Amino acid sequence: MPDLGDKAREDFFSEAQEIIDALSGDLLRLEDLVRRGETDAELVNDLFRAVHTMKGLSGLFGVAIMSGLSHELEELLDDLRLGRAELTPSVMDVLFRAVELYGRILLAARGEGPEPEDEVRELLAALAQVGDPGPAASPAAGSQYEIDPGVLGVLTEYEEHRLRVSLQSGTRLCRIQVSFPLATIDTALEELKDRARPHGEIITYLPTGDGGDPDAVELEILIASKSEPEALARAFASSNVVVEELKKRAAAPERASAGRAPEVPAREHPEVASPEHDELSAGDGPLAGRDVALRSVSQTVRVDIRRLDHLMNIVGELAIVRGQVARLAERTRSTPALREINAEVQRLHRAFDRHLTQMQDGILEVRMVPLGQVFEKLARAVRQISREVDKPTNLVVTGAETEIDKLIVEELSDPLMHMIRNAIDHGIESRNGRMAVGKPAVGTIALNAFQKGNQVVIEVEDDGRGIDPAAVLAAALRLGFTTADDAAQLGEKEVLSFVFAAGFTTRSEATLLSGRGVGMDVVKTNISRLGGVVDVASDLGIGTKMTITLPITLAIISVLVLEAGGRTFCMPLANMEEAIFLEPRDVRVVEGREVMTQRGATLPLVRLARLFGIDESQTAEPARRYVVIVSVGSKRVGFVVDKLLGQQDIVIKALGRSLRGVRGFAGATELGDQRVGLVIDVGALLDEVVTSGETRLLPEARL
Amino acid sequence: MSRDLAPRGHAHVEAREGLAVGGDARGADYLLFSLGGDPYALPIGVITEILKPLPITEVPRAPKGIAGLASVRGRLVTVLDLRRRFGLAEPGRDKRLRILLVDGGDETLGLLVDEVRGVQRFEDAEIEPPHVLGGEPPPHVSGIARNKNVWCMLLDLRPVLEASA
Repeated sequence: MPDLGDKAREDFFSEAQEIIDALSGDLLRLEDLVRRGETDAELVNDLFRAVHTMKGLSGLFGVAIMSGLSHELEELLDDLRLGRAELTPSVMDVLFRAVELYGRILLAARGEGPEPEDEVRELLAALAQVGDPGPAASPAAGSQYEIDPGVLGVLTEYEEHRLRVSLQSGTRLCRIQVSFPLATIDTALEELKDRARPHGEIITYLPTGDGGDPDAVELEILIASKSEPEALARAFASSNVVVEELKKRAAAPERASAGRAPEVPAREHPEVASPEHDELSAGDGPLAGRDVALRSVSQTVRVDIRRLDHLMNIVGELAIVRGQVARLAERTRSTPALREINAEVQRLHRAFDRHLTQMQDGILEVRMVPLGQVFEKLARAVRQISREVDKPTNLVVTGAETEIDKLIVEELSDPLMHMIRNAIDHGIESRNGRMAVGKPAVGTIALNAFQKGNQVVIEVEDDGRGIDPAAVLAAALRLGFTTADDAAQLGEKEVLSFVFAAGFTTRSEATLLSGRGVGMDVVKTNISRLGGVVDVASDLGIGTKMTITLPITLAIISVLVLEAGGRTFCMPLANMEEAIFLEPRDVRVVEGREVMTQRGATLPLVRLARLFGIDESQTAEPARRYVVIVSVGSKRVGFVVDKLLGQQDIVIKALGRSLRGVRGFAGATELGDQRVGLVIDVGALLDEVVTSGETRLLPEARL
Repeated sequence: MSRDLAPRGHAHVEAREGLAVGGDARGADYLLFSLGGDPYALPIGVITEILKPLPITEVPRAPKGIAGLASVRGRLVTVLDLRRRFGLAEPGRDKRLRILLVDGGDETLGLLVDEVRGVQRFEDAEIEPPHVLGGEPPPHVSGIARNKNVWCMLLDLRPVLEASA
C-alpha cells in the first residue's frame, strides 16, 4: 500500500467499511424484493454507485485485489441496472459472496488475515458466467414521444433504459419546467425530488440554458408519472413550476418486445427505497453465520455528543464521590484506632483520583474536533459573498488543525460567518477604491486559530478600510451610549468596543463604515454564551482585526472555589492568572477607583461581594483578604475575595430559564454535600467593570 | 376549570393524567398546602415530587421571587419563593417547610411552601371563579375550591412561570 499516512489509511478503512455495510444492507433488501418477484431499480443503481466508489477508493490505496473485484462487479451491476442482465437468485448469490469477500480483503489489508486470493478467483469466474449479457435492448425508447431530440440525445444509457421500462409499465411521461435560484438550488432540487417521488420516477433533469436571469437555473425534468399531470402540478404547488404531459406520437407503433429487460413494476419509493429504512439486522438475513464478513474492520464510531455529555455528567458525579472519599480519609486519619484503614483509604483515593482524571481527559479528547470543519464553510462563504458584492477577496487560513470542543465548533459557525460577511461588506473596499489607495485589487481576510493555554484564539483580520473611532464615538454620543464628559476619558479601544453594543449603528450618518456593527451585539452574545470574549482592534485605512478567545471545552472546567461575603463561588482557572494576599497598604485610589500595582502594571481592583450586591454586615471581617487576578483578552482585573477554599474540577451546568437574565454567572455546579456553587462568568464581569466604572469606590468602602 | 390550572408543556399532559387518576372527568385530586399562612391547592398531576428542605444557594442579582438553586440528585433546580413574590407573610424556616417540584417547560422549578396539608378531591361543581373573593382577584389565583371540609385558592402557575422566564 502506498504511504499515504496512517490517518488517510484509517479513513480509507472506515469509509470502505461503511460502503460494505451499506452494500450488505441494500443487498438484503433487494433479495427480499427478488423473492417476492419484484425489484427496485434505484436500489440496483445504488449498488452500482457504491461498487464504483469502492473501485476508485481501493485503486487509490493500492488494494489491487479489491479494485479488480470491484471492476468486474461494476460490469455486472451496470448490466443489471441497464436491464441487460436479469436479477436471478444465482446473481444474488454472487453479489452476496462478493460483499463477503470485500470484508475479508479489508481484513487482509489491515494485516489481520490472509488475502482470499483463491475465493476471489472463483468469484471472478462465477461473475463471468452470470454476467453474460443478453441481446441488447432496442434503442430510442423516447422516439415515440414528443421529446426534444436534443434532450433524448443526452440521456445516458441508464436513463434511457429507465425511460423505456417506465413507459412499458404504462406510466405517462411528463415534462416539468422549473426555475431555481442559484443560491438554493441544492435544497430546492431535493425538495422537488421528494415531492415527485410518490408520483413516479424522475428519469433525468437537464439545465435548459435559457432564461434571462443569471442568478437562476432553469431545469427541464422528465418524469415517468403514475399520476395525472394535474396531480403532479398540485404536488409541486408552486408558481414557477410548469408541468406538461408529453403525448405519444399518433403513428408510433406499440413496442412489442422488451428484450430481456426485467418487468419493473411501478415502485412505491417511500416503502422500499428510503435511506432511513433500516429494519433489517444482520442477524436475520442470509448473511447470518458468515461472521468473517460481518466482522467490522472500521475502528471508528460515530457518537451522539449527548452520549458524551451523559458520560461527562457521570464523571462529574464520580468527582463528588472522590471528594467524599477524601473527606473520609481525612476523618479516619484523625482517629488513631482507624490508622490502618486510613492507609488503605488513602491508597484507594489516590488510585481513584488518577483513573478518574484519565477518564475525564479521555472523554474530553473524544469531544475535540479541528476548527477546520467550520473554516471550510467560511471559505465557501467568502467566495460567494465576494462574488455577490463584487469585491474579490482571498481567504488565508492558518491553524485549521486547532482542536476545540465539538459543541463550541457548532455554535461558532454563525458568529464567524457574520464577522466574515461584515469584513467583506464593510471592511474591504471596492476594487477601484483599493487601487486608489495603493492596495492590491484583491482584498485579503486572514483567519488565524491557535491555542493559548486553556483557551483557543481565533482572529478574523481584513486589510480593508478599518473602523474610524471618531465616527464610532459620534454615533455612540448620538445614540446616548455615552456622554460627552465620559467620552473624553475613553481610549480608542473602549470607543471601538461600542460596535458590540446592542442597537449600535453608524448607519444614519453618511460615513464609510455604515452598517459595521449591525448584529455585532449578537456575535458578542453568542460568543459569551460559549464562555468566550470578542475584541476589536482597527487601524484606519489599514484594516480591522476581531479576536475571539474561547475556552477549549465547555463540559468540565477547573475552578478555584472561593468565598466572598459569606457565599461560595467558583472562579474558572482558565481565566485566572494568580491569587495573592491583599496588602491594604498597596491599594491606592485613583479617580475613585481602587487600584494596586502588580508586576509593574496598574491593576484595577473589584470587591466581588460588593459587585454582587451582597450584604456584608452579617459576615465577620476576615483577617486577610485575597486578590484573584483574572484576564480575558486584553482586560485584566483583580477580584477581592475573603477566602480561597481550593481548586476543583467541576461539571458546569447551565442555569435554568428563570435565571438566564442574571448577569455574571456562567452556570452552577454541585460541590458535594448538596451544596451548589455558582460559577462566575469572568468575561461578563470584566465587561461590566471595565465599561461601567463599577470599580469606582463607594463612600462606605473599607480598605 | 381544572385545566386552566395546568401550566404549559409537559405539566399540561400530566395534569390530565392526574385527572384520569383522580377518577371521572368531572373532578380532580388536588394537593393542599399553605403559602404565607393562606390555604392553596394545585392539581396533583402538575407536581412531580415533594421534597423536604434542602440547602438552597442564593443567587446574587436574581429577581426577588427566586430563592436560589438547589441540587436534587445532581440536577439543578431553581427554587421560587412565591411568598416573597406575592408579598405574603414569610414564616421562618421550620421543619414543615416543603419544596414542590413542578415542570417549568425547559427547566425544573421548585416552589417553597410553608407546609403540605394533604390531598383533597374537588368536583368541578365545587370550584368557583376567583372574583367571588371580591375586588380585583390576584393574578395567581385561578379559582376558589370549597367543599364541606376545606376552602382553598387554586394556584395558577402560568403567570408564575411566565414571569420567571
